[in-house]
Amino acid sequence: MNLSTQLKELGLSPLNTLVGSAHNLYKMPFDTVNEYKGSIIADNFHYHYENNEFYRDLCKKKDVRPEDVKGFDDLTKIPLIPVQTFKQCDSHLLMTSKLNEVEFEMRSTGTSGIPSVSRRDRLTMDSAFDSVVTTYREFFKLSRGMGLFLFPPTEEMPEMGMVKALNVFAGLLDGSVNLVKKITFNPEKAVEVLQSWDGKHTRHIVGPPFLVYRLIKYCMDRNIKLNLEKNSFIITLGGWKRFTGEEIPRAEFNELCHEYLGVQSYNVRDMYGLVEANMLAVECHKQEKHIPPWVHVSMRNPHNVLEEVEYGERGVIAIYDPTSISYPGFILTEDVGYLRKDTSCECGRNGQTLVYISRMPGVEVGCCAINLEKFIEEKEKGMAIKGGI
Amino acid sequence: MFNDIICDHFMNPRNIGELTDADYVIEISNPICGDTVHMYLKLNQEVISDVAYRAYGCSTSIATASIVSEKIVGMSKTEISSITRSNVVEWLGELEPSQLHCVDIALNILNQCANPTKKKFEQKEFLIEGEGAF
Repeated sequence: MNLSTQLKELGLSPLNTLVGSAHNLYKMPFDTVNEYKGSIIADNFHYHYENNEFYRDLCKKKDVRPEDVKGFDDLTKIPLIPVQTFKQCDSHLLMTSKLNEVEFEMRSTGTSGIPSVSRRDRLTMDSAFDSVVTTYREFFKLSRGMGLFLFPPTEEMPEMGMVKALNVFAGLLDGSVNLVKKITFNPEKAVEVLQSWDGKHTRHIVGPPFLVYRLIKYCMDRNIKLNLEKNSFIITLGGWKRFTGEEIPRAEFNELCHEYLGVQSYNVRDMYGLVEANMLAVECHKQEKHIPPWVHVSMRNPHNVLEEVEYGERGVIAIYDPTSISYPGFILTEDVGYLRKDTSCECGRNGQTLVYISRMPGVEVGCCAINLEKFIEEKEKGMAIKGGI
Repeated sequence: MFNDIICDHFMNPRNIGELTDADYVIEISNPICGDTVHMYLKLNQEVISDVAYRAYGCSTSIATASIVSEKIVGMSKTEISSITRSNVVEWLGELEPSQLHCVDIALNILNQCANPTKKKFEQKEFLIEGEGAF
């Protein structure tokens, strides 16, 4: 009898049990965790097969039946949904839940302006929040301190995925200030706020890489050197590529965070996620991005995405996320990366660790961050013209 | 969160698609939230004889495009220009505050339908990832 069946017989939710046991799961042997998550993902596949006509038809076309997916060894048989499907105007077909059960719509808009929208019902929102909060607690242990939030407040962009995910930090900290308001970033004010907290609070900076980079550039240009606390974090989410195509070099970014903000590189932590999934892969102090133990990532051959590539080989990132109830969370992304061969991280955690490389060649470069940067820059240019500079 | 009218039009969209022989096209877009409607109009004299659209964004905006497309078929441009905000509010049903922007989306579509000028959509440029990944 597998874990999922046993827990269900006890009246417990297998998924919630795994999410709530994240800390223990990171310490367990890789194969044991694979067996656990395999049964949960298989269950979730059966649910979508039974309740989603569009997905069932897709499975039938691929000749995959519920009895073919029993556990971990069968996961790669689960048909994947290309992430661009969430952008299509008939994306209602993706829904397993009915629209009147949907509680929250989340979106990401790339450089083309066409948004990718994911629709979550109550159970999916429950799991999404549990998943994100559990992950943040596991990797940051945050329960105090002040957050300098370099992203817009949620009331200005309530459905933007990056903003929603980063704003969860507000509930873990003693307080926070959003320094991007009305699509404008004021680095002078950011420095003032950080200085006003000096000696009173542990200061954390949270936002997309390009805005942290802008803050650092502001400090560099004025030779301002801040010295945040030993336990301060710089937490980033969103692309490292700017809308101009220029890429922010990570190694240089780490060095500048140390030099101008006084934060050691082991506390500069990037995260990987996408608006269609309920998970974030967060960096540990060794700067390795850990896949949550209830999620499975598979790397696919870019020339034949049905074929899985080995750990250590570059591929297209595919995500099997069992926390999604309102639509199948089996997603073929447009991102390229690889999984570390060694599944025992130096940080002491076991499991899959992901190295993100870039977007797929030829696809739209887009994420919440790149769009935000574009608007901030356009607004600043507009303001400059208005002011006659 | 979503009323029955919105649920019905989102799950069963009317007139979705494109018209290859459209006389006019209409484009509504919000660059920040991304709600986008591309509508195709066929006119017979001054009357809308056929309509199709592709909508992208939140469920309410997608349903709004469907609702408007259904209402305007058979209407003249003059009739469309006389449609009021309260007519639209009635068409869309009870909306939550976060969905009210869709009333303006509908009014923008109607305003352009009453005075269509564009014959084809403009090509938009966006950033494409290079060949470095593999």
